[in-house]
Amino acid sequence: MPAKKRPKIESKAQNFARALQQVFGRGFGPGFWLAVFWLVIVAFCAMFADWLPLRDPLDPVIANRLDGPLSGSLLGADGLGRDIFSRLVHGSRVSVVIGLTAVTIGMIVGGALGIIAGYFRGHFERALMAVLDVILAFPWLVLLLALVAFIGQSLFAISIAIGFLWIPAYARVARANTLSVVQREYVLAAKAMGASTTRILVREVLPNVVLPLLAYGLVAMGLVIIVESALAFLGLSVEAPQPTWGGMISEGKRHLATAVHVALIPSITMFLTVLSLNFVGDRLRSRFDVKESNL
Amino acid sequence: MTPPEFKEQPLLLDVRNLTIRLNSAAGLVHAVEDVSFVLREGQTLGIVGESGSGKSVMARSLMNLLPRRSVAQRQGCVVLSGREISALSERELQKLRGAQVAMIFQDPMTALNPVLTICVQVSEPLQQHLGLSKQAARQRTIELLDAVGIPDAANRVDQYPHQLSGGMRQRVVIAIAMACDPALLIADEPTTALDVTVQKQILDLLSRQQTQRRMGMLLITHDLGVVASRADIIAVMYAGRLVELAPATTLFGAMRHPYTEALFNSIPRISDPGHTRLHAIPGRPPQLHNPSPGCAFAPRCQYAQQRCHRETPPVVVAESSIVSAKPTEHLHACFFPVAKSASGEAN
Amino acid sequence: MSDKPGQHTPLQLRERDDIVLRIEHLSVNFRVGKQTVQAVSDLSLDVARGETLGLVGESGCGKSTVGRAIMQLPPPTAGKVLFKGQDLGLLSGEALRQTRTALQMIFQDPISSLNPRRKVKDIVAEGLQIWGRPGQQARVREVMEAVGLDPDAVADRRPHQFSGGQCQRICIARSLALDPDVLICDEPVSALDVSVQAQILNLLEDMKQRYQLTMVFVAHNLAVVRNVSDRVAVMYLGKLCEIGDTGSVYARPAHPYTRALLASIPDMNPLSRHQQDGLPLLHGDLPSPANPPSGCRFRTRCPNAQALCAEKEPLMQVVRQTEQNEPQSKATGVVSDHFVACHFPL
Repeated sequence: MPAKKRPKIESKAQNFARALQQVFGRGFGPGFWLAVFWLVIVAFCAMFADWLPLRDPLDPVIANRLDGPLSGSLLGADGLGRDIFSRLVHGSRVSVVIGLTAVTIGMIVGGALGIIAGYFRGHFERALMAVLDVILAFPWLVLLLALVAFIGQSLFAISIAIGFLWIPAYARVARANTLSVVQREYVLAAKAMGASTTRILVREVLPNVVLPLLAYGLVAMGLVIIVESALAFLGLSVEAPQPTWGGMISEGKRHLATAVHVALIPSITMFLTVLSLNFVGDRLRSRFDVKESNL
Repeated sequence: MTPPEFKEQPLLLDVRNLTIRLNSAAGLVHAVEDVSFVLREGQTLGIVGESGSGKSVMARSLMNLLPRRSVAQRQGCVVLSGREISALSERELQKLRGAQVAMIFQDPMTALNPVLTICVQVSEPLQQHLGLSKQAARQRTIELLDAVGIPDAANRVDQYPHQLSGGMRQRVVIAIAMACDPALLIADEPTTALDVTVQKQILDLLSRQQTQRRMGMLLITHDLGVVASRADIIAVMYAGRLVELAPATTLFGAMRHPYTEALFNSIPRISDPGHTRLHAIPGRPPQLHNPSPGCAFAPRCQYAQQRCHRETPPVVVAESSIVSAKPTEHLHACFFPVAKSASGEAN
Repeated sequence: MSDKPGQHTPLQLRERDDIVLRIEHLSVNFRVGKQTVQAVSDLSLDVARGETLGLVGESGCGKSTVGRAIMQLPPPTAGKVLFKGQDLGLLSGEALRQTRTALQMIFQDPISSLNPRRKVKDIVAEGLQIWGRPGQQARVREVMEAVGLDPDAVADRRPHQFSGGQCQRICIARSLALDPDVLICDEPVSALDVSVQAQILNLLEDMKQRYQLTMVFVAHNLAVVRNVSDRVAVMYLGKLCEIGDTGSVYARPAHPYTRALLASIPDMNPLSRHQQDGLPLLHGDLPSPANPPSGCRFRTRCPNAQALCAEKEPLMQVVRQTEQNEPQSKATGVVSDHFVACHFPL
């Protein structure tokens, strides 16, 4: 039964462009791209901090102590005369590393648990949900303190501790998405083909659950950065003299009356970063969800 | 054949050159393009079309029920009982909705608020438009539920929607629509989500209500069978345009537009023996984003010629009706109309 | 009380060599909250090779459940499903998975039947990949062309780029790739536009001829079922009311419910509209499936119901022919293919 017009055979490039257009639609708007731009800058700083032409972040020059922005150095100096701009750039490394690591741990462990719970249900699901409820009900700060006391305060240890905190949230997201995917008829069709359970999990369920998890990951990264700064405030984050944004805010609180820029600048930086992560994550999530709902 | 008394009835609804373009992620959608028709009091106009034909968009736009942000352009005028309503403010329209014009939709499951009782939902228009007191509204509600065939109405009135079946819910929806004795009822696929036995009951109910109240009805559906037996006049829509408009008997007896003919031939009939090959329409309904020039049905039409791909055919009067001196009875939009009856004979 | 199932062989089961699918006393129960819903109750029927059995009924009758129970997805609560003589309920694990390849299913919503993250060619090849069959590429091309899709244009795209009709074609191609014996179609055209329905129905007919399929066609649209089926079974509230040759059932329905169903179909004749019906053929509402009426389940809505209908559940009996129709051929013992479960058949 021939149609009146046969579909044109398109080149791969055209297909790819079309696919990108499907994903990115008719544009996200300027706000989205500004946020992406900021995040790219942060990521760049984190990666190349050591090679950028900056003052030594650990070098205290008492003569510059509490200098305001644009008087000598770009953003001024903190209480010990260290260059704020340079510390900011180096501090981004901590935020990015902790953000990525914690979120990745949460995603892999939490995601796996959630998918298994959502697919197999039954006792495992009930047990898991009960355990997760307990973890979530625990005041997270107390939990973190306990973990940090055990594991230590290295960059790696803090990442693991915060990552552990994120497992319940990811497990929930993964489980919810798995539950909805499992009800779709293509899973039933795969079973009817004779697909084994492993195959269904890997080929049918996982690809559809991964995207919402990733989108949630961006938003979670913002929260992780805030959690780290809270730890830093309590002096429990990565040990000094390694600069972290939270640590800089904490140090700056002494000088709020006289030199507010010491605390304000890292605060603004953190605010912009978290805002950008939330914005980008939210937009991407709704873009993926819209595609899902069109189906 | 329109019963003679209809010709004398005043115009209830006069839609002229209605055009609606919607915003969408993929661009501007030409949902409704230059649609005109009239409806007289007591008449039923059936609007038939598939998905993408624009029938639902048009139905909702009559009472301005489309989300504001989606509507990019809206042209044309809608005259209800002699009053131009297309430019009315929202407040003015709210007075009309439910009182003069009632609408019922496809899915009875979601048409009712699940956390309010039937009584509250049916009383709402009574209290708002007719100003009845709570007691009087309750009494009237029970009468209405009775009239739509809900057994044991006095007790049912305090139940919640989830306690009723789909057919019952649709009856409640009809009761809400009838509450203020509207002059016009717009029914958008009222029976599509219902079982076929319930479908018949609901359609019978609507016919009865219409006869009793001398109401005009706009019956929108994709099911030709439903309009065949229930509509006085049938309008066929395709890709946002009106392609044929005729009294029911004329349409089935002497259809002119190739799409109407193709649609008719592609439907399996109970009377046909098993394994009858269906005359499928090749291709699929068009995208409405960038309408190409020419007739929207041309890519799928077996009679299409060069001209059909270049120019959009205007709505014209069918030749047979000019001869019969009833000039607005049979309209179609085709350069090369067919001349077949429903039974396949040429005429 | 009704007869205990299993005490007799239901009349409507035929003794033929070429019976591919045979269902005996099938029951499927679901737990909904605290209640047990009998979605299918003591259903028996069979399908011969090359036949299409239409399964009709309204919502809640259990027809979709029957389709899935045949596939053992999930396995039925009671009863047997015999595929080529083998009881599917006795198989499990690997053996069941393997047998499944011969029984394929097409669903109502074509778009949600396809994994949105995968390419069409992977979807169609899925069955072949699972079982490591050779010649995958060639087979995938063959079935895609058979269903009217251009493999080069379609293979690398994803489902959301296609219309409902095209997605249904992809689903059909996927099912055919494994060369099944039986195709169970669960409302395959209900979600499609009218103009596309005819294409898909014609396609199913063509595929049936080409691949020698046996089909079970579940639908609520009686005209569609009439068009595709050789035999038709009418269900109500989990029970089989009437089964037989399509022409016979449609022309001379023996069960009051079948008659009511047929009479509800809107007539395409505009002149018939001014004739209102006489007696209603059906009254009241569908009873709750969790609490079905005793005896004959249709009795609460049947205009002919008597006391007996409440006490005793009717068993399947042969529909007697009247003189003007073809009488049963007593000489050869050929029984008319038309059975009804009613104490007072029409």
